[in-house]
Amino acid sequence: MTKEQQPLKDQTTRQQWPLAVRLFASVAILVYLLAIALPPLAGPPPASELANVILQPFRPLVGAISLSHGYRFFAPNPGPGHSIRWTMLTARGNTLKGVIPDAETDWPRLLYHRRFMIPEKIAALVPPPRAPAGIRREATRDWQPFAEDIANHLLTKHSGQEVTLELVEHYLPDTFELKEGRAGDDLTTPLGSYAWRERTSL
Amino acid sequence: MKNTSDSGLSRQESLNWFAAWWRAWTTFWFTPSNPLLLGVLRILVGALLAWSNFVWLLDQEGFFGLSGWQSTGNVWRLNDQPWHWSWYFPAQTLLATKSLTFVSLFAAMSLSVGFVTRPAACIALAGYVSAVNRAPLNTFGFDDVLGIMLVPLIIGTAGARLSVDSIFRKKQSVPNTETTIALRLIQVHLCTLYFFSGCGKLLGASWWEGTALWGAVANIQYRTIDLTFLAWHPLLINALTLGTLFWEVSYAALIWPRLTRPLVLAMAVFVHLGIGLTMGMMEFGLAMLIANMAFLPPHLNMSQTPPDSKLATGRNT
Repeated sequence: MTKEQQPLKDQTTRQQWPLAVRLFASVAILVYLLAIALPPLAGPPPASELANVILQPFRPLVGAISLSHGYRFFAPNPGPGHSIRWTMLTARGNTLKGVIPDAETDWPRLLYHRRFMIPEKIAALVPPPRAPAGIRREATRDWQPFAEDIANHLLTKHSGQEVTLELVEHYLPDTFELKEGRAGDDLTTPLGSYAWRERTSL
Repeated sequence: MKNTSDSGLSRQESLNWFAAWWRAWTTFWFTPSNPLLLGVLRILVGALLAWSNFVWLLDQEGFFGLSGWQSTGNVWRLNDQPWHWSWYFPAQTLLATKSLTFVSLFAAMSLSVGFVTRPAACIALAGYVSAVNRAPLNTFGFDDVLGIMLVPLIIGTAGARLSVDSIFRKKQSVPNTETTIALRLIQVHLCTLYFFSGCGKLLGASWWEGTALWGAVANIQYRTIDLTFLAWHPLLINALTLGTLFWEVSYAALIWPRLTRPLVLAMAVFVHLGIGLTMGMMEFGLAMLIANMAFLPPHLNMSQTPPDSKLATGRNT
């Protein structure tokens, strides 16, 4: 209880709620607090099965007011940044190139961050090129629907015929590399070529 | 006899224990508060939400259109259908999505100026939820933090002070319980956020090693101010990383005592302004700072002593 929130017992303070109202409000508050605390407990991984079981009856409320957040900001480790490079063949036979996000044109900064989230969230689904073939094949089912949507959006926006997408993981130099002026290569993972909604290759 | 006496005493002690808990609970949640602080939070949250809606408008086709960055058919892959509803799902044309975003924008502006405040807050919440549920590929921490404050702004009397509504209202606003619940919900939600954010970091080696901050500094995708000179000051990187980690993990405990609260809030200003300025996430930084303002005195007068200060016990303060 903060000092400032102690009861102000004068005529300018509204009377305290009756017991029945306080009991009802207490139950509602407890439900809300559980709806706040359970989603980050239940995910992202690692998370317990128990938390997920308890979360089940709260899913309608959590979804209705958008409380399903993990709050894992820059956790467990701040990793490298990502972008998606695209190359497009237009209906007129021209070649267009671009990147998502584009620091030059995506302004204001909030727009840049909203677009920056696209490669960041897809990168979480795409295994690195050196991962075993089986894992990469399996992961394709997770990320490819998103890649198709991105391709379709770009093709619609630029009246393109075909677009090729690449996920770029920007090399994150450590302090020693930076001091010595060294830097590794960015890691590029092909996300496929797409013609409208039909994928033509991977 | 002795056993009976013992059990009777124990029962009485249990009752006292529950009574003490109930008293503490009702004091925490139901003691009336001055609505001035909530009015300030309403202005700031409404303004940030209006800005967010304006930015959604800048790429309507991409965020909410039929051929958007993420089609409606794939939204379920990132959220929990059917509970994550959105009024953008049935919108089939650009005109429809734009109109809905304009409704959200006007509701947020109305919330900010305190005009028909509670209905405006409800529509602003609906618009916010619809946007984040339709475009989960494009949301980040900024959206999470805005969501923390919208439900409380509906519950509390957010339009009682510093609002258009208050100009037309004949009755003077008074301290009330709804405002306390609203501020408490923001406070507890913020503690939950920092707790899980801090615990998530404890899984990462770079936070234990004190090098995590470098990962943010060296990431060119985020960078708006070049701090790579820190490479020559590794101990400073360690101190900043470990300081941030300790602050986040301990926030939920140290924000409540009157002695440590100013230090915790000062650190919040340092961390969130730092993130805003150096990583280009000013909206996220501001939203976090606004949420932290819920821990300021509700009457916003730091030096004023309440008339019943003798009642202040120092517990939970």
